[in-house]
Amino acid sequence: MKSLVLVLSAAGMIGLAAPAIAHHSAAPFDFTIRDAKVTGVVKEFEVANPHTKIVLMVSDDKGAREIEFEGHSRNNYYRQGWRPALVKVGDTITLLIAPRKDGSDGGYALNVIAADGTEF
Amino acid sequence: MRRMRKLEGKVRAWKTLLRTTVGMGSVVAMMCVCGAAVRAADNHPDFTGVWRGMRGNGDPNFVRGWPKDMPLRDEARQRREAYHALVDPNGETPGGWCVGTGMPGSLLESGGYPMEIIQKPEQITVIYEAHTEMQRIYISGPKAHVSDGDLFPTRNGFSTGHWEGDTLVVETDHLKEQFDQTAVHSANARITTRYRMSQGEDGKRILTAELTMTDPDFYTKPVTVTKTWVEAEPDARMMLYECTEPTWEEHLQALEAKAAQ
Repeated sequence: MKSLVLVLSAAGMIGLAAPAIAHHSAAPFDFTIRDAKVTGVVKEFEVANPHTKIVLMVSDDKGAREIEFEGHSRNNYYRQGWRPALVKVGDTITLLIAPRKDGSDGGYALNVIAADGTEF
Repeated sequence: MRRMRKLEGKVRAWKTLLRTTVGMGSVVAMMCVCGAAVRAADNHPDFTGVWRGMRGNGDPNFVRGWPKDMPLRDEARQRREAYHALVDPNGETPGGWCVGTGMPGSLLESGGYPMEIIQKPEQITVIYEAHTEMQRIYISGPKAHVSDGDLFPTRNGFSTGHWEGDTLVVETDHLKEQFDQTAVHSANARITTRYRMSQGEDGKRILTAELTMTDPDFYTKPVTVTKTWVEAEPDARMMLYECTEPTWEEHLQALEAKAAQ
């Protein structure tokens, strides 16, 4: 199955499959940066099409707060190695993100490092 | 005794040969490899399988498989610009609302998702994983002969096909006017797609489509582009692309909130 992992530009995927419920888009994200790391505790991890919604409890220099991220479609995360049991509420995970262009909290999660170290 | 064993050995060998031949015969009845092409029972090339798109050649003059400098008529260009002025500031796309791309974008783009072809003599079905877009290509029989009055415009149109030797020629029309895909087109656009199969150096099947869109309402001349796929690995499977549950759940929540008032 890994052989069918599709090498896509995140911007291209978003162009096709941006979120529905939140009606977000690729426009706010800076895809020239693809590996900014954010670590936090999972509050929500809703893997869905056309996009995934991730909410982390993050604590850093700016203080403790809740941050929402967008991610790939369920189909693309699956092909990157995501499986339903990999991420649970309460896990500490790390996201590799394209940050928001305006520097505010959030971003587009290109990859996820699960609590057990599995990266997808 | 020795002669008996020799005779038994010969019988076993003949049985094995017979089983193999019968088995092969069954396979040959379904499909045979004739030169580079895998062939269906009707001797046409068999496109059945899961395919993944090969990335373009990196030509900066193309975006999502379509020429950036498309020969649009002035009015179409102005309407396209007006559409983009509306949606670009927030990067809105049909995909963000779970709406598929439509032809020819569904064939040319598919966002990198795979497609599956199911081939029968009378109908070839192309399923694009993204948004589960679909093209049913009617080759023969009553479904291939529908009068204009019984058809209406849709994003992926109405497709019929015929074989010219080993080339599948597909005509697609009854398309809905679209400014919300890269290959904008009017409702009078007509797409001719010529599919051919070959074999790569690694033995994998390669599928190539040469697509020409003719649309005198929007374009000053026809546009021809090429798209190539390679057959996916045997364990590759298509996935469902269910996309609209969040919208339904959002609606349910609204209903619950209203009921609680």
